[in-house]
Amino acid sequence: MRSGEIISFDDIKAGYGRSRILKGLSFSVREGEVFGVIGPNGCGKSTMLNVLTGTLCPSSGRLFYREKEISGLPSYKRCRLGIGRTWQIPRPFTGMTVYDNVLTGAVHGAGESVKQSREKAEKVLKETGLADKSRIPSGELTLLDRKRLELARAMASGPEVLLLDEVAAGLTEAETKEIMALVGGLRERKYTVIWIEHNIETMLKATDRLMCMADGRNVICGDPGEVMGSEIVEELYLGKD
Amino acid sequence: MHRNDPHKGIRTVLYTAVFLLLLAAGLTGFPGNNILRYGFRILLYITIGEMWNLLSGYAGMTSLGQQAFIGLSGYTLAVVTTRYGLPYPLGILLGLLISLAAAFLLSLFLLRIDGMYFAITTWVVAEALGTLFMSMTYVNRGAGMTVTAEPYPRIGRLFVMALLLCSLSLVLAELLLRSGYGLGIMAMRDDPEAAEAAGVNVKLAKRAVYIFAAGVTALAGSLFFLNKGTIYPESGFDIGWTISMVFIVIIGGSGTIEGPVIGAVLYVLLSEYLARYPGWSNMILGAIAILMILFCPRGIVRFSPRPKDHLTKAR
Ligand SMILES: Nc1ncnc2c1ncn2[C@@H]1O[C@H](COP(=O)(O)OP(=O)(O)OP(=O)(O)O)[C@@H](O)[C@H]1O
Ligand SMILES: [Mg+2]
Repeated sequence: MRSGEIISFDDIKAGYGRSRILKGLSFSVREGEVFGVIGPNGCGKSTMLNVLTGTLCPSSGRLFYREKEISGLPSYKRCRLGIGRTWQIPRPFTGMTVYDNVLTGAVHGAGESVKQSREKAEKVLKETGLADKSRIPSGELTLLDRKRLELARAMASGPEVLLLDEVAAGLTEAETKEIMALVGGLRERKYTVIWIEHNIETMLKATDRLMCMADGRNVICGDPGEVMGSEIVEELYLGKD
Repeated sequence: MHRNDPHKGIRTVLYTAVFLLLLAAGLTGFPGNNILRYGFRILLYITIGEMWNLLSGYAGMTSLGQQAFIGLSGYTLAVVTTRYGLPYPLGILLGLLISLAAAFLLSLFLLRIDGMYFAITTWVVAEALGTLFMSMTYVNRGAGMTVTAEPYPRIGRLFVMALLLCSLSLVLAELLLRSGYGLGIMAMRDDPEAAEAAGVNVKLAKRAVYIFAAGVTALAGSLFFLNKGTIYPESGFDIGWTISMVFIVIIGGSGTIEGPVIGAVLYVLLSEYLARYPGWSNMILGAIAILMILFCPRGIVRFSPRPKDHLTKAR
């Protein structure tokens, strides 16, 4: 692992049951950058995040966080190390209020007392525009608010690396603008961001580097403009955009 | 913002007053033995109902095998007092320790299973224990055992013991749920994977809840059989124990602390009344449970289907 890198995948293979999804994925993310990830449906983008958070165990390969091999760490410990995520299809704790969802992230993700966490939770709720809805059961939220809650819960855990999985998917144009503004603001907070997005246009301006995945591998990675202009990406997206 | 329960002070005073009143009733025995006997049963059913509620309603671990701990503690009490002639408090303590150890050992493999498989496996384990006790000469096989105590505790004293156990377990459960651990427990119930990714140590939370519920249920079991005086494999390891817990939680409302209190009162009164119609009683209790699930799935205490805020949750 080179200096300045915070996350590194080294020939990771993983899948669900007998299906193989990641077929030797390697890439590295530098500290402080916004790292965009694109690729066709089903190529393994979300699966890559599952491996990174420990939700899915890779069958081979090595995974580094800073200088540390983290393949053996349980999911909750990785969160406490500083890896916070959102889910492509929001997964709020539906039996709890919005406030308690965020408080859970703060208490467990950051490993702090309830007292210390309250202030943080309230701050994050304000920043994500959920302050007025904090007492609503999270199961009653609209999709846009669920996406906001995903962000809020992840931010409350005090991450160094924030993993965003298609935060704009399924939203209307106006809603997309709102959530993008929110994501744009993350840049100033010195988070390292891994950002999966289908809506490439909106993402391009905000990313430092871009990786394109196909069939469980890293096919090209580098400057966003160059990646988008490359033949291989053009081929993959031919007729799609 | 919304930080504290505005009625917290009033509630504390009210609950303390009820506790003291019941304590006085038990110590003086003034309500009479009959009422105390009802009260004793209600208190114990509140306790075991609340523990099942903690497991299923709050932590999402629906067990059908809590009778394992009732049987284990009941038998420990009988063995310690009758076979070895030791005082019953020692039997209760040993029953607690054995149940905690059993729960820990069971948790090693039970916590790897989810949902319906967890429910069925817990039940199978309890049945297996019943069968084991049925074949062990050490515990007189199917002939059962008696509990001996010199002098045998009177109903007033049993009532006080049940009151202490019930109050203590309610306070502990409430403290647990209002702490940061409570957040983790409920998050794990709603989505274990997402909870884990948000920093919740799901395995630890499950194990803690499972062992705590087992310990308290075991203590209640000891008191039940101390009152009853005899234990058989069929009565100790009876699935009926868990069925009554399920009934109490369904009637009262799962995922609330108040629910099982109301559920237990109704259960004891109903089952006492229905005892006059043997054969019908289970069917009627079952029908009531089904009607509740259909028309009032959140139980009596929660007609409004909204989860409350963790911080302001009314107790
Ligand atoms: N939990 C799961 N169990 C079994 N198969 C899964 C699971 N999650 C994803 N898959 C399969 O793995 C493959 C890769 O899925 P993944 O979600 O990683 O793709 P993706 O690149 O994120 O796609 P999308 O752009 O549609 O979100 C797909 O074929 C999907 O059907
Ligand atoms: Mg995906």
